[in-house]
Amino acid sequence: MAGAPIELLQRVPLFSELDQGELEQVARLFKERRFAQGETVVMEGSGGAAFFVIAAGEATVAVGTAQRPPLRAGDYFGEIALIDEGRRSATVTAASDLLCYGLTFWEFRPLVEGNGVIAWKLLQSLAKKLRAAQAD
Amino acid sequence: MSAVLNLSDTRDVTAFGSKAVGLGEATRAGLPVPPGIALSGPFVEAVASEDEEAVATLLRLAAHLPLPLAVRSSAADEDGAEASFAGQHLTLLNVPSPADLPQAVREIWWSANSDSAITYRQRVGLFTRPSVGVVVQSLLNPEVAGVMFTQNPMNGADERVIEGSWGLGEAVVAGTVIPDHFRIDREGRVLERIPGLKQVAIRALPSGGTVEEATPPGDVEKLCLDEGQLELLSQLALRCEQVYGPARDIEWAIADGTLYVLQCRAVTRTGR
Repeated sequence: MAGAPIELLQRVPLFSELDQGELEQVARLFKERRFAQGETVVMEGSGGAAFFVIAAGEATVAVGTAQRPPLRAGDYFGEIALIDEGRRSATVTAASDLLCYGLTFWEFRPLVEGNGVIAWKLLQSLAKKLRAAQAD
Repeated sequence: MSAVLNLSDTRDVTAFGSKAVGLGEATRAGLPVPPGIALSGPFVEAVASEDEEAVATLLRLAAHLPLPLAVRSSAADEDGAEASFAGQHLTLLNVPSPADLPQAVREIWWSANSDSAITYRQRVGLFTRPSVGVVVQSLLNPEVAGVMFTQNPMNGADERVIEGSWGLGEAVVAGTVIPDHFRIDREGRVLERIPGLKQVAIRALPSGGTVEEATPPGDVEKLCLDEGQLELLSQLALRCEQVYGPARDIEWAIADGTLYVLQCRAVTRTGR
């Protein structure tokens, strides 16, 4: 089946409570995207086009000059700019060759709007990021 | 509507994009265009999604094209008056086999959905779902290539302006070299020849992709076009104007002594 591997999405907290059928539907929306080591995946301040889940490899995260914890397989990023249609809030760089699966805004929004479980998980994740930012 | 067409049958800009339709028009008019196929925007999306039927169709229809391949984006609104996506959308030269095509098509789909492309779309008021067609053509191995304007883009004068360099035309388009510069009048008389500094040539690699090769010292400032080749370009300019109308921006290449059209579009701006 095309799209993201189900086993990968099961590891992503955002999708962990979906049943098999829902996961298959979500997985089909994703498209593979590869980044070479050193490539900028998203750039802080740029407009946002897609939300990504990492399937393999590692990425560094920087907000301004401050480094954030790296991202690894099962982590996701890019959702904030898709939610507010604003600018990227961090720069993500491929620390190794990176295999990701991505959803563009035009798939992400209907997915979140149509699935309360995903929307709630997303809210929890954003609340956590807000508290972390306030604590900085 | 078919999702994949031979270039000669490509007419629908909304589905296939202006580059594909421009090349279709050129092919039907008998202009020398390398053989190729055009993929519609929805078909490109299906290939990018690894839809098995779409991938199989692509592999089957691309199998007859002489290798290697050049895979270029052809957005519906590309090169339009309101917004130009040149530079935003990817071109992949020297894709070595049809088996590499699905990945190449997916990369082009992502280039239309990249942060930079979306930022650009937002800036020009086009925050809509991008649809990108793709043109798959045999890649030439040109001795010399470049661009030609059928009307001087700097001052609007009724003369041809030609810029050329050794190897693939991307060296001229991407500004990797200072190309040779020629002006010729409507009758083909050469008005000006200015040698450039062509220190590198972009060539196809046997394993795929391209490489910048150092130009032999004797060729760096040697004019890359002779009298006969300028005459061929003059005839091509006239023919393109007959087919498309005035003020055209033509990408061309000369391979094995034959002149080819790689793209023909309206000049979007003159200095006049």
